[in-house]
Amino acid sequence: MGELISTVLFLFVNGMIWGLIIALISLGLSLIFGVMGIVNMAHGDIYMVGAVISISLFPFLGNFWLALLVVPLIVGFFAAPVERFILRPYEGHPSVTMIATTGISFIIQQIVLATYGGIPKKMLNPWPVSFNLFGVEYEGYRLLIAVISIGILIGLWLILYKTSYGILVRASIQDRNMASAMGIDVNRVLMMTFVLGCILAAIAGVLAAPITQVFYLMGNDVVLLAFIVVIVGGLGSLEGTLFAALSLSCVEGVLSAVMSPTQSRATILVIMIVILMIRPRGLFAEK
Amino acid sequence: MENKRLLSWFATLSLAIFAVLGFTLPSGARSLAIQIMVFSIFAMGYDISLGFTNQCSLGHSIFFGVGAYGAILSIAKMKTGAIGAVGSGLGAGFVVALILGLICVRLSEAYFVIVTAIISAVFHLLAMDMTWLTGGDDGITVIPPALFGKFTQLSLSNPLVNYYFVLLFLTVTYLILVRMLRAPLGKVFAAIRGNDTRALFLGYNVFRYKLIAFIISGVCGALSGALYALTLRYASADFFSFYWSIVPIVWCLIGGLGTLVGCFIGVALMSIFQYYVSAWFTHYLLLFGVLILVILRVSIKGVLGYVLKRGSG
Repeated sequence: MGELISTVLFLFVNGMIWGLIIALISLGLSLIFGVMGIVNMAHGDIYMVGAVISISLFPFLGNFWLALLVVPLIVGFFAAPVERFILRPYEGHPSVTMIATTGISFIIQQIVLATYGGIPKKMLNPWPVSFNLFGVEYEGYRLLIAVISIGILIGLWLILYKTSYGILVRASIQDRNMASAMGIDVNRVLMMTFVLGCILAAIAGVLAAPITQVFYLMGNDVVLLAFIVVIVGGLGSLEGTLFAALSLSCVEGVLSAVMSPTQSRATILVIMIVILMIRPRGLFAEK
Repeated sequence: MENKRLLSWFATLSLAIFAVLGFTLPSGARSLAIQIMVFSIFAMGYDISLGFTNQCSLGHSIFFGVGAYGAILSIAKMKTGAIGAVGSGLGAGFVVALILGLICVRLSEAYFVIVTAIISAVFHLLAMDMTWLTGGDDGITVIPPALFGKFTQLSLSNPLVNYYFVLLFLTVTYLILVRMLRAPLGKVFAAIRGNDTRALFLGYNVFRYKLIAFIISGVCGALSGALYALTLRYASADFFSFYWSIVPIVWCLIGGLGTLVGCFIGVALMSIFQYYVSAWFTHYLLLFGVLILVILRVSIKGVLGYVLKRGSG
């Protein structure tokens, strides 16, 4: 009995840590949708690119922590022109942006496949320490992921609620035309938001690189859960997204004790459908 | 009015060309032509949902896969003939489209696209996982049966029979869809496409009409999947992959949204493009992605939309 409880607790913590990574990804997704009306199908691929670049740059940087700083900046640098020159005309049309970003997703995947190769790799564990958690040996690095992600989430909260940029973003989410009429340079806010979302996904990718298989399709699996999270939490609602990310990942983690990963994913889907039946705009959406 | 006549001329012409091509083409090009016809059914169906009622579904791979498996499994497990197989593919497609439609259609635009995409991704995962039913990535292979019963002279293993079997379904689908769109149903679709809030205020049950369009479109996808599986004589979990949700959009966008038959052009161009390009370029999907971006930027009305605009001044 004690063993069962410790297994469930272990899976719960594991789910929680993936939940934090998913939260980073889906907050970006939700932010980009809320501000710009873009449904970013390529978001999982940006997460993948984060992981792939961090592995490819590892021989040059020689240090995981440096990669955690540098890689998101590289990704952000490439994200800005994509927003400006490819996505801007379609902003506010969810279907069209979804088709366009699917195209971008194919392009990113194929470029990575051509340059990095199709064989899954794994990053060296940057902090090979283990703790005794509920009677189970637990990798220290995974706990560190939790600490870093929580730090980033707090940072994001500070940016959105305590800086002038945050006010601009929240104003644009609320009413874009009004924000524009008040003299806000909405285009700049849009670009910065897109870059911020992509940076969050890239950070998630770098963080996940040591605990998962890094290959060109790794984003598909994660983005699926991220989309479910965003739908359940309510598109554009940041607190809803955070809540849904943590709770759904924990549920999925615990479910995987009794069923296969695919079955637990299907169960999550059923949960999502039931929630949509009751609240067609997700749990936390306002209107 | 002018446009409608032009479009039906175009459709008649293409169907006639297909009919002639059947016995003139060499076998390689013939199988490409079969593919084009099969995909045209899919694309016409997709046009009903995207072009006529503004429902951009990313879940049509589900119908394609369900139709394919409906056909293949009924041959493998129940020994039905080809017609019975197509019938069970259609039936399976209808049931799935009805259920998905009830879940998704009433959602708003962004939720609709995302939820359909999520559901199709989970179907793909399930199809890969449930190997006892679907055969997973390896799929299930069948020997092509007679069209029905013991009537063994007409079997789909004869490529010419296969060709005209598919052409028959293409023609019938086209005629049914055109008839539907000219009926009052089509007028309501047009009203919804123009402005669905206004259609609602005029007293139409918009949800029901959108659901009808979604189901018609799903059934066409299932028919196409069934015919595709019968032609290839197998079905695999790959039929559920996201690729099959995104190609119909590309076909319709290239050919011309809301023209029903414009997608013939889109399908033909894409199939020929893929046939030749994927032979010498392994990263075919890269060009596919670029193509999507270019099409979206150049013209959302497609080739036929452009021609019609020029024609009507």
